[in-house]
Parts: sequence; C-alpha cells; structure tokens
Amino acid sequence: MDTELSEIASFIQGIPPFDSLPQPALAHLISELSINYVRKDETLPPNGVDEPRLYIVRKGALSCLSSDEELVSRLGEGDLCTEFCKKVLQSPQDEQRVSRQVKTDEDSLVYSLNCDVLRDIGNKYPSISDYFNHNSAERLKLKMSKVNEDAIISSTLMNTSVSNFYHSPVAGIDASKSIQQAAQQMTEQGYSCLVVLDNQKSIGIITDKDIRRRCVAEGLPISASICEIMTRNMSTIDIKSNAYDALMAMTAKHIHHLPVTKKGEVVGMVTVTDLMNNEGHNAVNFSSIIHKAKSLAELKEISDLLPKLQIRLAKLGASADHVGKSISAITMAFTKRLIEMAEEKYGQAPVPYAWLAAGSQARQEQLAHSDQDNAIIICDSMKPYDDAWFENLANFVCDGLADCGFIYCPGDIMATNPKWRQPVKKWQKYFDDWVDTPSPKALLNSSVFFDLETICGDAKLLESVRKNLLKKTKKSSLFIAHLSKNALGLRPPLGFFRDFVLKQNGKHKATLDLKHNGIAPIVDLARIYALSEGVSAVNTIERIQQAAGTRAITKSSAENLIDAYEFLGMLRVKHQAKKLMQGHEADNYLSPKELSKLEREHLKDAFKVIKTLQDSRQASF
Amino acid sequence: MPISSLFNSLVGYEAKRKRLLKKAPDGPLKDFLSVPFPSLDTPIQQLPILALDFETTGLDAKADKLLSVGFVAMEDEQIKLNSCYHQIIKTKAQLEESNVIIHQITDTQKEQGQPLRLVIEKLLKALAGKVMLVHFARIERQFLTQACLELYGIAPEFPIIDTLVIAKRQLDKRDVAYDPSELRLSSLRDKYALPSHHGHNALNDAIATAELLLAQINHKPKTDKIQLRDLIL
Repeated sequence: MDTELSEIASFIQGIPPFDSLPQPALAHLISELSINYVRKDETLPPNGVDEPRLYIVRKGALSCLSSDEELVSRLGEGDLCTEFCKKVLQSPQDEQRVSRQVKTDEDSLVYSLNCDVLRDIGNKYPSISDYFNHNSAERLKLKMSKVNEDAIISSTLMNTSVSNFYHSPVAGIDASKSIQQAAQQMTEQGYSCLVVLDNQKSIGIITDKDIRRRCVAEGLPISASICEIMTRNMSTIDIKSNAYDALMAMTAKHIHHLPVTKKGEVVGMVTVTDLMNNEGHNAVNFSSIIHKAKSLAELKEISDLLPKLQIRLAKLGASADHVGKSISAITMAFTKRLIEMAEEKYGQAPVPYAWLAAGSQARQEQLAHSDQDNAIIICDSMKPYDDAWFENLANFVCDGLADCGFIYCPGDIMATNPKWRQPVKKWQKYFDDWVDTPSPKALLNSSVFFDLETICGDAKLLESVRKNLLKKTKKSSLFIAHLSKNALGLRPPLGFFRDFVLKQNGKHKATLDLKHNGIAPIVDLARIYALSEGVSAVNTIERIQQAAGTRAITKSSAENLIDAYEFLGMLRVKHQAKKLMQGHEADNYLSPKELSKLEREHLKDAFKVIKTLQDSRQASF
Repeated sequence: MPISSLFNSLVGYEAKRKRLLKKAPDGPLKDFLSVPFPSLDTPIQQLPILALDFETTGLDAKADKLLSVGFVAMEDEQIKLNSCYHQIIKTKAQLEESNVIIHQITDTQKEQGQPLRLVIEKLLKALAGKVMLVHFARIERQFLTQACLELYGIAPEFPIIDTLVIAKRQLDKRDVAYDPSELRLSSLRDKYALPSHHGHNALNDAIATAELLLAQINHKPKTDKIQLRDLIL
C-alpha cells in the first residue's frame, strides 16, 4: 500500500471491524474515503452529501439523538456513525425503529465511506458485513461463542461430559455381605469404593474410608454387615452432566466418589482423582484442606489463599459462571467447617435447622472475600429458649467467616441478627408480608432474601417456604410491579465517550461500575422473571434459562441476556484478577482506558441488550 | 461585478489562459490550457480544487530539483482520497544528506522514480479546469513554471489558493504583531484542532493543506456566500 497514506491507514486499522482487513483491502477502503469538515452544531450528513454513507470521526465529537431529542450515544475520535447506512446494510429491526439526528458537538473532521463500497467490501470479507449487519445482541453472541471456544481450549472440564471420565461397570456388593468381605473384594479388584446392592438396586455406597472411620476406629467387628457402615442417600450425578459440575458437587459435599446414574440407575463411578488428573484445578484441594482444618487460625490461613485461587481460575480462562461456582463452593466449605466446629463446642442443635446463604453466595456467583449474607431457618418445633443455641452458632460462624475475610454484611443481613434467625412459620410470614403488602423500600432491603439457598442442615425447611412463596409471587402482579420498579432504578450507561463513561443524562463519569451498571441490573431482571414465573432456581443464568419462553421473557431475549451477563462477568473476573495480582483489593470499578476498542464495542452491545429488556419490563407494568 | 469581469477578461487568468493556448505546442500543456478555469464568482461549494505539494532539494527553482509530487482533489467541500497521487521523480541530482533527512527520500527510492516529464503530464491533466491549492505558493508555482519551461518552452498561468495567505490576511486584519511561525502548516492545523500529521511527504502535506482550507472556510463568516474571489491569491 502507499506509505503516503500510512497515517490514515493506521488510524482506520485501529478501528474494529476494519482491524480484521488484510492490507490490500484496507488500502482499497482508504482510497474510497472522503474527508469532510463539519462545524460545531451542524448536522450530518454534511451539505451536498445525499448518498448513504458510513461516517468515521477523525477529530471532534458527535451526538446521536433519538426522535424525541434524547441523547442515545456520543461519538468521539475513532467511533463509527452508522445512522445513515442502516437502510443500505441489512438492518437489525431493534435499532431501526427510531430515526435519529446526528449533530456535531465540536468542529469535526469526519471520514466517510459510501455504503455501496462498504457493502462490496463486506461481500468479500464477512467479518465486515457481520459487524454491520448484526445488531448488538448478535455481535455479543458471536463474541461470547468465541470466548466459550477459548474456554474449551483452556479448560476442558467445563465442557466435557461426565461420561468421558466415569468407570464402568461399577463394582457392586450385595447388602448381605460383611465388612471383611467388602474389604477383600476391594483389595482383589483394586477399588476403593463399592456400590451396595439390594436385589440389584443400589441402596448405598461403601468406601475404604468408611471401613477405617466407622469400623476399625469405632471397634466394630469386621463380621458386621456392610449396611452398618455404608452411606445411604448417596449423592449421585447424571451421566449427562458436565465434569465440572461433578467436581463442584464433590467439592461442596466434600466427597471423593460420586456414583454416575443413567435414568436413575447407577452405571458407574467418577472420582476426584479422575477429574483432577485432567485439570490443574485446586478447588477440591481447597475444600479438602478446609475440612481438615482443626482451628479457626488454620481456616484463616487457608482463606488467605482464596484470592490466589480466583486469579488462577481467571488465568485458566474459566468463565465468570465457573469462577463464581468455585468460590461459592469454597465459601460453603468454610461455612460448613465452622458449623461443625460450633457444634463441637456447643453440642448438637436442639431442633432441626438449616444454615442459609443469601445473595451472591446463594446464586453461586460469589467472588473472593465478598460480604457475607446469611440466615438460619429453624424447625417450628423450637422452644423460645432454644434460640440461645442458635445465637451461639450464629455468632461463632459469622465471626469465623469475618476472620476468614468475608466481611460482615453492612446491611446486617446475617444470622446474628435475631430477625433473620427464625422458625419456618416466621419466615413464611416475612415472605407473605413482602408479597402481599409490598413497599418499594422494604423490598429493596429484602430482595436479597429472594435469593436463598441451604448451605447446611435440613433442606426441606427452606423448600416448603420457597414453594409457598413462588405460588404467591406468580399470582401477585402488584408485588412484581414493585420489585420491577426497584430493579429498574439501576440503568446501564449509554456507552463511552473518549475515556469516559457516558451516562443517560449526558454527563461523564471516570470509571464504570461493572457491578451496579451491568451485572446487578441483569441479576435483578432474572429475579423478577423467576418470581413472576414460579422458577425455583436461584443462580442468575439458570433463572434466565428456566424463564426463557415464558411470558416474562422470550427465548431469544433470554439468550441475549445470558450473553450480556457472561460478557460482563468475564470482564469483571479479568479486572479483579488484575487487581489482585497487583496486590490491590478486587473491586468492580473499570476504567475505560483498561478496555480495548473491541471490548468497548461489546460492552456497548451488552448495555443495549440490558436497556432493551429493562424498557420492555417497564412497559409491562 | 461588471468592472472586475472586464478586468478579468483583459488581464485575469482566463485571459492569459486563452492567449497562451494559442502559443502552446500540441501536447499536455495545450490540453491543460484548453480547459477553462472556474470563474471568480464560483461559490466555494462548487469549486473544483486540486491540493498540491512538492518536495524539492531546495528553494531555488532554477538550481534545485523537484523530488516528489503529491496531490488530492476536492469537490463539494470534500477531499476525495480516490484522487490521491504521489510520485517520486527520477532526477540526476545527488541528494544531500540534510534533504534526505527532511523528505526521507533516498537515492535508491529516487532511482525507482518516474521521469519529470511523466509526472508533470499527470499533474497537468489533474489540474486542468481546477484551482490549485497550496500552502506557501512560491515553491509550487516556481517549480511548476520552471518544469513547464524546460519541457514545453512556455510557462502556464493558473489560479491559486494559498492557505498561508488566507491565514496571513486574517492576522494582518487584526493589526497585532504575530510570529511568522504561526503561519506554518502545522501551527495553523493546531489552531483549528486538526489532527497532527506527518509532514514532509508531498501527499500528506497536500491532504493536510486541503483539510486546513476546509477548516478556514468553515470558520469564515457567511460560509455559504464564499466565492473563489474571496480566497484567490
């Protein structure tokens, strides 16, 4: 190419999608450019231009206004203005509906390209036509499918099915056999784990650890039945699940063997070792050392390693979803160990109960050392004096978590607060009140309780409450309206202008709050979809997936929203890993300078997806 | 204005063009002269312009040599990059080191250049019927005149817009002292917040000059009413 135009070339080359063009095509594109100078407060297209063109801001600033004069976006150096070539390029419907005005905010030097030329280039280079033909949701989808491909390459477990790992057939032993016979069979066959069968039906599992702990250590005769030491109600995993979920299930429950089922029948066994050999993953190690920790001081030491794990996961290319699940599983392990310690100290609970996680931990979207949100649900048979035990438990666990870096909840949403340490019927009443007589303020404070998960204890307690709750929320349009009103308070920004984040009212802000400007609005939308459709899932992606195709959200919008969520999550995980590596605290404030030009484009696309769904939510009540 | 059009028909560039056309030998120069120039009352919006820049070995058109030529056309107040032209000229003169530093044209590149005759032919063809736009007209005018004398025996006459002179007229009107360095292409571009450019390449400078003219006319009062007569050198 002509070195003479190298300046223009390097400028154009830095702008997606033209960065993907090979040199000769780039040279051709540049040779077709026109240069215009437009004074401040004029409108595009410039005088004398009546053909449709793509405009590229070389210097200056433009504002795109909707037909009702609302600022839609602001463009600076290197930004593309596609307002006038939409009719020529196949245009996405959702962006076509408004006819917009483009005006110059400063004296501007703009390059422009005839849309016919652009279309010709697009015909030869699909990356160009894809960029202009796709709407924001589609561009984001392309980006996320690329990201997911990368994740497959760098981390196999997430996308490998359990079926690739499990051993089959599984070694079974009849329930009538003795412990000694089981030990002999294990030795002969080289297994550390047998499935206990009664009439060919699996009723439990026995591992060499059970023989050690429940027989030898307890002084049980080796002639005793294996039924005495086997684990009943064993956890299983379906053969179609992915290996990562298997690993997480074992991490959370602190087990090393997981029977694999096909249509409910045990068909094989997967072990931690099988999975670990395939992944340099240490979430399981983590949970194992947490379980072995003897004292609070030891737990504290382990917790110092959590940020390192988050960095490691981010480096492995794990998606935000998987990082969140890993960290949440580890927090769960910490909590469980603390509860065990408390039970050692204060004795067994007087009545059945469950320790609940609220907010991000319940949604399995936690990142290292976020604040703790928890509660206790107690069986209705509790007597008033029983609360003393639960208070001790709450203080012990919450203080312990705080020592391990999970700071106290600033809103006092913790089991130490007597309000959030209540029997089932009281919890039911709380939820009934929130749903029956909703007030925006009360909902703002309590919305965290609509994301609730059992960490430890009797899961049935919460399930009964949740079932009733979902039955009610599905019917209560007033409640959903109030919840929506709160949720729509957080709006994504319009995009970027130079190195600033552009807010709705046109004002600039130096950094982007990824959490409040992007992630939280999606979490809120997902919660509304779940509650209005009676979806019991708590995890944001699962909620959106399960609500997809209902009257709350269409299938395609659901997919778009998940793409946006995953993209924002990915940026957040990357940003936090960077902060942690520099020895700073992991925050959610992203400077636009940290973003590549392409990431900015994708972020804008993600904001548009959120805004569209917020708008349609707003229109629906 | 009848008086000025009368004046124009007697001594203006159109009159000169017609006179020279009769004398010119057949060939590129005659072809150039046979196309009428735009009249003085042509509105700027309709004015065909060719922004031009020469790189030379020095300031003396008789002793120094033309090294390269770059130009780009402007129509409807738009710079059309598809009209870009840049050519290094093959001359016999040895390049001095100081010049190589400025123009970054080396002897080897020069050897691969085209003969002066072909480049001037190309230029005359592009310039026909247009107004020449330059920054500091003396170099381009003298070197083009000299080249035509050498090649065709006569020198043409053509209308010129000089962005330096436009800027100078404005500064003179303010009647305050100014530093001559304010009139440099790069200083003037800075003044209008145009992006910084890589100078001393003939084509880049031609584009930079064209952009500067766009900024200058857009900052004049009553931009719509500007005619060639308001800008001509």
